[in-house]
Amino acid sequence: MKTGISLPAELAEQIERILADLHRRTGAECILLADISGQLITAQGQMRAIDPVLVAALAAGDVAALTELARQFGEENPHGSFLHEGESMNMYLFNVAGSFILIVVFQTGTPIGLIRLFVRRAAERLYPLTAEFEDLMGQPKQVPDANFGATLAEELDKVFGGL
Amino acid sequence: MFINWKLREINLKIVYYGPALSGKTTNLQYIHAKMNPRMRGELVSLKTRGDRTIYFDFLQLELGQIAGLKPRFNLYTVPGQVYYVGSRKLVLQGTDGVVFVADSQWQRLKANVETMRDMEENLRALGYDPHTMPLVLQCNKRDLPGIAPLPLLQQQLGCNGAPCFASVATQGIAVFDTLKAIINLVVAQAQRQL
Repeated sequence: MKTGISLPAELAEQIERILADLHRRTGAECILLADISGQLITAQGQMRAIDPVLVAALAAGDVAALTELARQFGEENPHGSFLHEGESMNMYLFNVAGSFILIVVFQTGTPIGLIRLFVRRAAERLYPLTAEFEDLMGQPKQVPDANFGATLAEELDKVFGGL
Repeated sequence: MFINWKLREINLKIVYYGPALSGKTTNLQYIHAKMNPRMRGELVSLKTRGDRTIYFDFLQLELGQIAGLKPRFNLYTVPGQVYYVGSRKLVLQGTDGVVFVADSQWQRLKANVETMRDMEENLRALGYDPHTMPLVLQCNKRDLPGIAPLPLLQQQLGCNGAPCFASVATQGIAVFDTLKAIINLVVAQAQRQL
C-alpha cells in the first residue's frame, strides 16, 4: 500500500483555483476537498461556524457508510453523490474518482440543480489533478527536515509533561 | 500521512482499536479534558443512545511549528462491538498508526485476541502490512482485580516488539505516554518511508 502524501504547493494552488471557481459560481457557503480517509486537503469560503478538519472526517465517514449501503443494494460501482437537505443549509457530497470527496455547503435557497451541474464540472477538472496527486503517494518531491522527528519528540515531552 | 507544503502542515491519523468497553473513548476523553483548548479541537462522538460508540470518536490535536512544519494529529477510535466490523475497517483507512487498547481482565482475554485478529485482517484487506504498521499496545484497566500479567497479554496478542503501557485510562495513567509513543513511532516510520 502506498502511504503518505506530500502535496507540492503548485498542485495545492491548482486545486484551490478550481475550488475558488466553484465557490464563485455556486455562491456556496463553503467548499472542502478531502480524501476518502477523512484527511482535509483544502477548503474555500466561510468557515465561521465549522471546523473544516472535523467536517472532512465526518463527511468521509458518511460517504464510506453510504457507499457501503449502496453496495448492499447491489450497486456495482457505488461512487455516487449524496445530498443532505437541512432547514437552512444543504450539503452535497460528491465522490471524485473514488478517492476524494468534494463537500459543498450551501443555503437552502440555492437551486440543487445548479450545485450538481457546477460540482460535476469542477470534478472533471479535478480528475487529472487527483490522479497526479495519487501518483505522489510514496514518491514525494519534498520531505520534512531530518530533525523533524527529534524536535517533535522534545515538544511532545514539553506539551504532555505533567498531564 | 498528508503534508500540505503550501500550508506547511503535516497531518497524521492515529486509530485507537480494541474490544468493546476496553477504554478507547476514555483515552480520547482524557486527552481532550487535559490538553490546552488552543491545541485541540472538539471531541466528536458518534454514539448510540446507550453511550456506545457506533461509528467513531474524533479528536484533533495541533502543535505549533516544528522544524518549519505544523503537525496535526487526527485521533480516531473504532466501535468495539463485534457487529461493527464494517465501521472498524472504514476508520482504519488511511491510518498511520494504531494504539491497541486491550482490556486486561482475564475474562476479556479472548475478546482481545479476536479483536487483534480482526484488526490484522482489516489492515490486510486495506492493503497494509500489519507487521510494519506502527503499533502501541495499551493494557488498560490495571486497577481492576482479576487481570492478566502484561507479558502474557503481549505474548497472546503477538505484540512482543511493540511498546507496551499498563494504563488506567479513567485516571489518565499512561494515556499521554501511549499517545507520545505512537506519535513518535508514526513520525519515525513516516520519515523512513519518505
